Amino acid sequence: MLGKRYLILDDGSSFAGEAFGDLSNATGELVVNTNLSNYQEALTDPSYHNQIITFVQPSIGNIGINPKSYESIMTSAKGIVVNEAENISFSHLKNMSLDSFLKERHIPGICNIDTRQIQKYVRKYQIKKASIVNSNDEHAFDQLQAAVLSNQQIRSVATSKPYLVPGTGITVVVVDLGLRESIIRQLSKLNCNIIVVPWNINFADIKNLDPGGIVISSGPGSPDEIDPIVIKNILAIQKELPLLGIGLGHELISIANGAKVSRMNFGTHGSSHPVLKIITNEIVYPNQATDYAVNPETIDSSKLIITYVDLINGTIQGIRSRDYPTFSVQFFPERINDLDDTLDIFDEFIESIEAHRRSINE
Amino acid sequence: MQNEKVVLNGMAMQRALNRITYEIIEKNKGVENLVLIGIKTRGVFLANRIANRLKKLEDTDIPVIELNITKYRDDKKASVNSSEQVAENVVNIDNKNVVLVDDVLFTGRTVRAALGAINEIGRPKRISLAVLVDRGHREIPIRADFVGKNLPSSKDEKINVLVSEIDDRDGVEITKE
Repeated sequence: MLGKRYLILDDGSSFAGEAFGDLSNATGELVVNTNLSNYQEALTDPSYHNQIITFVQPSIGNIGINPKSYESIMTSAKGIVVNEAENISFSHLKNMSLDSFLKERHIPGICNIDTRQIQKYVRKYQIKKASIVNSNDEHAFDQLQAAVLSNQQIRSVATSKPYLVPGTGITVVVVDLGLRESIIRQLSKLNCNIIVVPWNINFADIKNLDPGGIVISSGPGSPDEIDPIVIKNILAIQKELPLLGIGLGHELISIANGAKVSRMNFGTHGSSHPVLKIITNEIVYPNQATDYAVNPETIDSSKLIITYVDLINGTIQGIRSRDYPTFSVQFFPERINDLDDTLDIFDEFIESIEAHRRSINE
Repeated sequence: MQNEKVVLNGMAMQRALNRITYEIIEKNKGVENLVLIGIKTRGVFLANRIANRLKKLEDTDIPVIELNITKYRDDKKASVNSSEQVAENVVNIDNKNVVLVDDVLFTGRTVRAALGAINEIGRPKRISLAVLVDRGHREIPIRADFVGKNLPSSKDEKINVLVSEIDDRDGVEITKE
């Protein structure tokens, strides 16, 4: 028998639903994910650190839990809100359904809520914070109002020590700001010898690893709260080596090149936005999970070229340096909803490393 | 016996052209003063594609000259009709940054001929060379500034660049006789 639970929002409203997953209370930033698939990826994605994810797709849990889909070993989400929670397991090792997975990871869930209604509400009233609680009394709202959300998320999710994912190809250093494993998976497929390093590493130490190119990873939170050493490293790296930025990494590369990043009124979490790839006039539907975007007016066109634009909200989704083999995308280049038309950004990166090597050898 | 091996599929070829486009912007510090010259036949299609990409990114029309190098080839002197036009869509190239575009760089003799032909239409400030494939085996001292793909090959192999404008698809294939 499911117990009654509430999703309460920082404007004083509350939605009744039923408990599943862990039975603890949770408070976090409320985000709305519109993807039709990939709930496991979202649950394990460090970009969702400290956030409560509302899934608009009405049936969540319907393909069980499969560790191959994880974006990290740890889970980062603070809680989840779903319409229908399916109790299905396909695991041959043990009975692992979404419910038992959430219990194991101590993540509270709330189900039997009309999540499409919540999406409309959150968009209309620009809700930031929410809690999943047992009772929607005054005390719970007071606690929600008083809750201060951490701005030191990278320290919680990114690696503090370097590690190697061996490969026979080009050495790529990945600066970890809370990376999604799909970045490593894609580089692995291209045979890269991958060295993941902590975000606060020095440029000299990166160079000692003799990489062909550098990736600044995705991660949670605001780029303005990142330690300035990352910007300093980006400025040094881009002069010497091919550089790829993804998500938070893209925001930081943009900032390093003079642009400003601002918080959107309503974040984009899903893959329903058509994004224009300017150079070839193609439309792609990438996976997006961000509450921040580079402000187009702050782009210095003598330094940066805009390469991708979101056609729904007009946000910049990709940039490239005019002077160096540096480029970055706001979205996550990965296979989503059976489309893989953004995956070849990693091929593009490896090819630009090869081109860079040719140019310095001549 | 012939067997074909695809070394660049359509997507990889698009990507190579994208990268060459960005590298041209990088090396030329923008697209001002830029003229593309495509060597007939496939070099012209590739040059047009690069020009289209530059237009999308920089909103500037970059002229594309179509170069006919027959007259300047060093292997067919006897058969050449010297009244044949050396170039179409000619614009003034004096003091311009010229990017010469061809599909495959092999012995370098085609490029040498193209440099001779360019000499006939003007005196650029600088000429650089963009090729989709560099297959090695140079016979004269020429190198490319922008390379889509380095493709070490043996001399008895044939490299075919396909462009969808006149072939049925995009791609690069190797055939061995």
